[in-house]
Order: sequence, then structure tokens, then C-alpha cells
Amino acid sequence: MALVETRDLVKNYIMGEETVRAVDGVSLAIERGEYVAIMGASGSGKSTFMNMIGCLDVPTSGEVRIDGIATQDRDGDALAELRNQKIGFIFQQFNLLARTTALDNVAVPLIYAGLGSEERRARAKAKLEEMGLGDRLDHSPAKLSGGQQQRVAIARALVTDPVILLADEPTGALDSRTSEDIMAIFERLNNQGITIIVVTHEAEIADHAKRRIEFRDGKVVEDVLVANRRMVRA
Amino acid sequence: MTGRLARKSAAWLVNVAIAITALRTNLMRSILTTLGVMIGVFAVTLAVAVGSGAQVSVMQSINALGSNMALIFPEPDNEGGRTSFDRGRLTMRDARAIQKQVSGITDIAPQLRTSIQLVVAGRNATTTGIGATPGYAKVTNAAAESGRFISDADVRSAARVVVLGPSVATKLFGDYDPIGGTVRINRAPFTVIGVMESKGSSFGNDNDDLAIMPISTIRQRFSGDSLAGPDDLQILFVGFEDGVSLPRAKREITRLLRERYRVRGKAINPFTIRTTEEFMKESAQVTGIFQIVLVAIASISLLVGGIGIMNIMLVSVSERTREIGLRMALGAKRSDIRNQFLVEAAVLCVIGGAIGLALAIAAGTALTVYADFPVPIGIGVGIGAIVFSAVIGLLFGGYPAVRASRLSPIEALRSE
Repeated sequence: MALVETRDLVKNYIMGEETVRAVDGVSLAIERGEYVAIMGASGSGKSTFMNMIGCLDVPTSGEVRIDGIATQDRDGDALAELRNQKIGFIFQQFNLLARTTALDNVAVPLIYAGLGSEERRARAKAKLEEMGLGDRLDHSPAKLSGGQQQRVAIARALVTDPVILLADEPTGALDSRTSEDIMAIFERLNNQGITIIVVTHEAEIADHAKRRIEFRDGKVVEDVLVANRRMVRA
Repeated sequence: MTGRLARKSAAWLVNVAIAITALRTNLMRSILTTLGVMIGVFAVTLAVAVGSGAQVSVMQSINALGSNMALIFPEPDNEGGRTSFDRGRLTMRDARAIQKQVSGITDIAPQLRTSIQLVVAGRNATTTGIGATPGYAKVTNAAAESGRFISDADVRSAARVVVLGPSVATKLFGDYDPIGGTVRINRAPFTVIGVMESKGSSFGNDNDDLAIMPISTIRQRFSGDSLAGPDDLQILFVGFEDGVSLPRAKREITRLLRERYRVRGKAINPFTIRTTEEFMKESAQVTGIFQIVLVAIASISLLVGGIGIMNIMLVSVSERTREIGLRMALGAKRSDIRNQFLVEAAVLCVIGGAIGLALAIAAGTALTVYADFPVPIGIGVGIGAIVFSAVIGLLFGGYPAVRASRLSPIEALRSE
């Protein structure tokens, strides 16, 4: 059974009089342990697709199954629980809470998982240390560099031990050197067994993945294994 | 995994922490918003307290009169809107007849009252002179604090003796013991035989500002003019034993007096009977209305405060739409988001309410101390005010909070 499975996935947006078909009948399967780059120009439907498999957006028709669970049968709260337990999100703009320490930012998903404050702190601290931010626990995002902020965001995505990491343009706001650092982290995580799906328009980032899926006009136009995969650490 | 209860309490605690952080972030805005609730709670609390203070005051003055009694005046009874221009009648003989024939009476206190002037060595005081019999002390629950009260012998001999109210005693004698001293009342010398116990004051009205003399003495010296006959009374208090039904006693007295004055059918009674029970009921009604009006007016300010809360919470929700989307992405359920904003509104309101309550207590104390008007703010009112502010927060924070929780996660995340 595939970890992420879509069947005839369709998403329509109504823009005034016109109906725009952002995702147009996509059927895909992503297995456990894969590292997938989803590419495409802006408006190709890649982000909409990503939002649907992240259970943030509801399909117009078709199915999304996460770890065997059919999402269309679940209500908003059940989807929130699913996101909390199975999916870690990484955003282009990091989306950290301002004026909130790195530790508290990372602990947010654990609040909704229902953990007590001591356990939240312990787990958040461990994840931040894993990201090499053990000395930045009490820093607010404003006092951290872009790369550090994204590492806090990765720690937050991982703190509930999800099976899938969904990253939407994770290096879009970072310089190339810092981007490499983030890619190195992704590679390490994938080696540890986490399934990673990255949405990007940068070929260099996509080359780090094992599989590349290209979107155009809401359809998958290419779905290939990456031939010469870029490895940060040989 | 922790249990549901643990999850719930943890989530609420976290919500309080999130709320406090959010409120501190916009400190000035939070303070101004709180101000509305603060003023509202202040006004409502004070209104409730002033209302119950009025009630206490009225009850005090009625109790100062005596607890279980009927008051009979020689005035035509104008009940039911009818008026009579006949002169009313009430005599000592009527009083004795009532005492003899009506059951449950402890004692009677026939009285004549007139304004008198007392002079002692250059000091003088004007007060109400009450001509009474020994029954007065019993009926009005009063006694002489020092010395003695008027005796039957004093009444029989129309003795020139006086019992002073504590205020009058202090005014005339200062720290000296007035017992045995001489005062001139309307130029005639009187011997002070006692000083009454204090009955305090009610509504700024001093219950201790009086002087009591034998009724026969007052009749001889001061009130020949306004009374129809030498046996006439101005007021008659009739005291009843505890547990006696005052309405029934009133009916009995009415029947007796109507017989004595040969009042038939629908003719207007030449006397008026009121009971302390009626006074209590009427004043409870009046102070009740007074309190409702006060609280209603004060509630308007609380309503305005609540609308202020709603307004700010709506602003807060739209400013933090992205944060809401993020929290949803990270696993927040609708109820988590709703509770977060509800707690924020409730925290704002409870802080405002607590400050408002503190101000109301301060103002109430000041009124009690400086204006001699009791403004009791009990624990009940205090807890009520705090709970009420929390309810205001939940009520007016409810709409913005629910609105926040209904956002679609992806739309919220995309918003700038």
C-alpha cells in the first residue's frame, strides 16, 4: 500500500464566471521512503496538489489516501488530527510565530497532540538539538538567521514524528549555501526513512530528490526517477 | 499517550498563555479595550451595591422604628384615591380600647410630637420632642442607655423630666454626664433622667436626635393649639408579639375604630393605620425599582464595553489569520482555535472586571465612610462581577472566535 495515493484528483476554482481547473485528474502513488520533487511553473497546479495531499485543501472530486486513510470521508477535526500525527509541513516563509521562542515554536504541534508541558519542552528541545540549534532554544525568530529559522521550522515539522514531510519551496527565501544545508538535512532525514515531498521550481533543488514529478496545466506531464541525483554528502 | 482530560486541561492552560502573549503584544490596545469592560463592571457593581445599600438603609430606619408594629394616625384614610377634608380623630381612650380588645399586643405607645428648643448653659439644640408613655420604650425596642426611662408616675404627675437622645445629649452636655442635670425646654426647667441608646442613622437621618418627655407634660405645655380635644393623640404605635399577623391585627383595629367612630359602609375612616410590614414591602418595592433602573443604566456601559471587546477580537482574528492557518496546519482543531480566541476575550474581560471591581470597592468604601451611606459590596457581588465579566468575554468574544475557527486552513495560510 502506497503511503500517499491519489485517484482522479480534481480541484476547481471559481473565478468570477470562469471555472479554473487547477488540478485535473491526477492519479499518483508515493511509496514509503521516497523523496519526491514536484516541479512546474507557477499556476501549474503543483501547490494545489500539495495542499490536497497535505489535507489543507479539499478536492473537488477524486480521492486522497494518506497511509491507507481515505481523507474525503473525514471531517475537519479528523483531518487536523491526521495532519498533526502523519504530516510535517515546511513553508517557504518558515511561518514561525513571532515573539515566540524557538522552543515554544517547535512545541506548538505537541499542544494539539495533547502532551503536557514538560514532555512538550523535552521533545522540542531534542528536535532543536538534532537540528544543531541547542544553543538557540530561547531565541525568537527575529534573532535567528534565515537558515536557522528554517531549521526551527523543520524541527517543528518533525516533532510529532510524522511519516511524511511536505515542503513548499523550502529554500525559496534562502541563499544557495544555506539552501544546501537544508538539502543536507532533507537527505539525512530521508535516509532515516522519512518520506519527503518537496514542491519547487528550482531544478537544483529537485535534483536532490530521487523522483521528479512535473506538473503542467493541472496534469502530470513527467514522472521520472532522477538520473544524476545530487548528493550533498557523498 | 495522555488521557483526554489531561489533553484538555493542557490545551486550556496553553490557551491562557497564548492569550496573555497576544494581549501583551498589543499592550496599548489591550488596555484600551479592557477600559470599556472595567468601566462597565465598575458601574454595574456600584449600582448593585448602591441599590442594596438603599435597601439596607430603609430596613434600618424601619427597624429603628420598632420591628412588629402598627402605626395609627388621626388622619382620614385616603387609600384608593378618595380624599376627605374632615379632621381625623384618635384619642387616648381609643388607644386603651385597642390595648384591651385586640389580641397579641405587647404594649402601646401613644404620642404627641412637637418641635422643641433645649438650652443648657448657653448651648442650645432644636429637636423633636416626643411626649410618650412608658410603653414607648418597649414598642420601639428602645431603652435608656444610662439613667432611666419615663415612668407611669412621671406621666401621672406630668413631671418636668426628659430623656435625651444621644445626639442631643452630646450636643448639650459634651463629655459631661447629663443625668440629673437641668435643661430649659421652651424656657421651663426640666430634669434629665436618662439618655437613650443609640439607634444610629439611616439615609443620613439621625435617629438619635430626639428628646422624650411624659405625654402629659407635653400636652400641658406645648400642644394646646393643634389638637381637637384634651385627650387627642398625634400618633399611636401598637407593638405586637412576634408571629402575630399584622394584616389581621390591622383589620381588627380598623373594625374596632370604625365601631367607635360609627363609620358605616363606604365612608372614609377618620384614621390611618400602617404597619411596619407594609413599610417594608413598599420600600422593598421602591428600592427594588431603584436598583433595577440603576443596574439597567449601568448595564449599557457594560454592553458598550462588550461591543468594544468584540470589535477588537475581530481585528485580532483578521490580523492573525495566517497564524490561525498555521496552527490548523500543525494540527489545531476548530475547537482549539475557537477556544484560543475565547480565552483571549475572557482574559481581557476578567482583568477589566477585576480592576472595575477593585475601583467599585474603593468607591463604595468612600461612599460609606464619607457620605454615611452604606454601599455593601459582598463576596457574592465580587464573584458575580468577575464571573459576569468572563461571561461578557465569552459572549462578545464568541462570534469572532467562531469566525476564526471556521476559516479554511489553506485560505488562512495564504492570507497576508
